[in-house]
Amino acid sequence: MRNLLNFLTRYNNLIVFLVLEGIALYLISTGNSYQNAKLLNAVRGMTHGIEQRIYNTSSYLSLHQINERLAEENVALKNRMEQMIRKENPVFSSVQDSVHKQQYQHSSGEVINNSINRQKNFFTINKGELQGIKVDMAVLSPDGIAGVIVGCSKNFSIAMSVLNIDFKLSARIKSNGYYGSLGWDGRDYRYVILSEIPQHVNVSVGDTVEATGFSAIFPEGVIVGTVSDYEKVGGDFYKIRVSLMTDFKKLHFVDVIGNMKKSEQLELEKLSK
Amino acid sequence: MINTVIRFGLIFILLVLLQVLLFNNIQFSGYINPYVYIMFILLLPIEIPAWLLLVLSFTIGIIIDFFSGSPGIHTFATVLSGFVRPYIIRVVSPRDGYESGSEPSMGNYGFKWFFSYTLLLVLIHHTSLFYLEVFRFTDFFRTLLRVILSTIFSVTFILLIEYYRRGKN
Repeated sequence: MRNLLNFLTRYNNLIVFLVLEGIALYLISTGNSYQNAKLLNAVRGMTHGIEQRIYNTSSYLSLHQINERLAEENVALKNRMEQMIRKENPVFSSVQDSVHKQQYQHSSGEVINNSINRQKNFFTINKGELQGIKVDMAVLSPDGIAGVIVGCSKNFSIAMSVLNIDFKLSARIKSNGYYGSLGWDGRDYRYVILSEIPQHVNVSVGDTVEATGFSAIFPEGVIVGTVSDYEKVGGDFYKIRVSLMTDFKKLHFVDVIGNMKKSEQLELEKLSK
Repeated sequence: MINTVIRFGLIFILLVLLQVLLFNNIQFSGYINPYVYIMFILLLPIEIPAWLLLVLSFTIGIIIDFFSGSPGIHTFATVLSGFVRPYIIRVVSPRDGYESGSEPSMGNYGFKWFFSYTLLLVLIHHTSLFYLEVFRFTDFFRTLLRVILSTIFSVTFILLIEYYRRGKN
């Protein structure tokens, strides 16, 4: 017994050290993976109030730019609506068939906390479960892809940004349809890397890169960016640097998109495995 | 005694705010992320009991983690820093040794001493932090570059703050 006490008094600092590091490692292992964002959520809940305040101030200062962007988006949407009406009117009457026709459900949100300077970046959106946001929904900026929802509380959600080294997306080159895997290499917040494009494919600078929709998260055809440069890696594949359309430094208004037929697609795909 | 506690409480709050509101939002190209809050661990009295140093390091680490949404990473790095701090203090000790009851500051032990003390501790903190954040050894040298660049900036900011603090005393 005395030996044990001696041991404890002698090494008590080491024991405190190991216990505290153990807690830290436990937090890292449970909270940092993107499947398990629950702890992240609980922890974030406490700091939301402060974040909201910081965000309110900064958004007030950039109202002018935000207005301009919204106006631009309005014009684009009006144009599109015009096209739709023209197309449908002569032959068909438009039918609101929400059960069979509508595949994607949009809702808007605002980014209230964002980072681009880490290797694993996340951003927070001011809508949550009560507003119909669910895990695995896609997040788009007005220009292109932005991220995927990984955790929801009642009124807030956390999304994994494209600028996260764990983020993977199936994307293709629009002009020829060849698809590969897209991810961030952690270097520059303006570029992502598209790999697994075979070398016999013609790639040219400026080609548009878009999402394929294979994952059932992102709608098919969402713009990712444009080819900025490419190089040959190994024997067979190109490594293509894609310049992102979305400017993550001023990410503000986002669209959250849920795929209403996702479970149907996934279930069917499960059968074939 | 009470005075010291209040003073370090204020330093704690000030550094956390400075880190969360200012330095977390500074983004030079993704390579340079200064972490200045580590200064709290640097400034604690030399004769502080080791367990208290560890607990305080843990506290500031977990609070920074809360605000950065990165559970555990900062906590791990700060607890490690708190653990090695007594050894660093021993390694860089001035020729006449330390006065009892003094605090590690530029005013007490000079620029050269404070610089090497800061550099060593910040380097250990940043190395563990950045490698833990990436959690893989591919891109080893790029992470190393991030560690070195960020260390340079953190040390610079800490020295500037310390210089200002000395001027005020």
